[in-house]
Order: sequence, then structure tokens, then C-alpha cells
Amino acid sequence: MTHEARITCPARRDNLGSLLRFITDACAKAELGEEDAMAVRVSVEELCENVITHGYKGREPGPLSIEFTGSPDRVVVAVEDRGVPFDPAQAPPADTTSDWKERPLGGLGWHLVHRLMDEVRYERIGDDGNRTTLVKRRFATT
Amino acid sequence: MEVTTQMFDRTTVVRVIGSVDGLTAETLTGALQSHVDEGRINLVCDLSGVDYTSSAGLRALLGTLKAARQQGGDFRLAAVQPGVHRILELSGFTSILKLYGDVDAAVASFAD
Repeated sequence: MTHEARITCPARRDNLGSLLRFITDACAKAELGEEDAMAVRVSVEELCENVITHGYKGREPGPLSIEFTGSPDRVVVAVEDRGVPFDPAQAPPADTTSDWKERPLGGLGWHLVHRLMDEVRYERIGDDGNRTTLVKRRFATT
Repeated sequence: MEVTTQMFDRTTVVRVIGSVDGLTAETLTGALQSHVDEGRINLVCDLSGVDYTSSAGLRALLGTLKAARQQGGDFRLAAVQPGVHRILELSGFTSILKLYGDVDAAVASFAD
């Protein structure tokens, strides 16, 4: 039920597999239910994708860290990077209602994170860091 | 992730097994797009073996839906598992994609 783990690697696409394996393994070790584990994995993938694609645009990719803390009543996952500041609250709203012809490809990542998690918190750390913290309460209904 | 294809008279069934994520979605997009490019525009995607999708997978599905419908065909889903169904629902995809309980029903729907 209780599990803590951390991974840090350069924010490159070829590390996405390691990052996804890390979060899948952490959810399993924390004995998270199937639905909650999927919610956490999707949310963490979306955050990692965002950092890898946009965080260090135009320069050498810096670090991307995931810190996982699973306790009996909740899972807290903090994703940190040293890329450009980005507050998820500022993400443009997703289009989930228009006709298929008008529906844009993409723009759903942050929408899913906000819908799947119970809390999403952002803070700037130091002069050049971002920390996005995801909280998933166990047995909660989203 | 594995992608296999089965051709019928009027329909092509693409069976996907595994996770559709940022690592695999491009392969799925390529496989689905190649069918549309070759005129196989009545497509069924058998998702009975898919237990995970992120927004990368949604992009692959929506891109295929648009390409197939723009050519007068359609892209329909079969046997969507509960976890993936939830992601489709939260993203508003269940209102634009046709979903069927199994592959037979999805294939039969093209005969209507």
C-alpha cells in the first residue's frame, strides 16, 4: 500500500519508455486499483509528453524527474523540470463537443489530467524549475 | 503493441493488442492511415486487446476517423475495454465515434 520512488533522466523522447515503465511499476507496487493506476499513468504520460515536447524547446533537454509517493489514502506524483514556466491552469480548454469535422487533433492532454486527478498543483521552484503535483485520492470517484 | 489486419468484402478489421501511448501511437497511426490511403475506408478497430490509451492514441483514432469519413467511409470501434472507454468518454469521443460490443457487430454495421 505504501511505496515511494523517484526517477530522473534527460527530458528526451527516447526516455519516455523508461518513464512510463517507472510509473506503471510504482502504481503496481503501491497496489493501486486498475482504474486509478490507469488515471495516474495517463496523467503522468501527458505531463512527461508536455515537458519532452515543449519544456526545453530550442535547447539541450534538461532533467525531468518523477517523484511517486503512494500512501494508504492517496497517491501523490510530483513531476519536475527546469524548462520554460508553464502553469497547467493556463492550458487552453479542450474541445470535446464539436462535430468530427471541426474537432482538432490534439489539445486533450491537460483536459484528461484535470479530469482524472483529484488535484493538480503547479509551482515555480527556484529561478528555473517547475513542479506539477498530481494527487489521486484512493477510492475516490472522478 | 501489435497491429494485425483482416480483410473482409466490404470492411477491413485492424486488431490492436497492447498499450497505445506516446511510444506506440505513431505506429498505429501509420497502420490505419495506410488502409485509408489504399481505399480501404470502411474500417473497424478491434480494441479488445487494448488496456491503455493516452491522448496520443486518441489523436490516432481521430485522425483515422476524419480521413475515412472525408472519403465517404467510416472508422468504427469494437470491444472497447472499460479503461479505454472511460478515456474516450472523458474526451468526448463517444459522441463522434460509433462503438460496438464486438467485431462481428461492427463489421455487420457496414452492411446496413
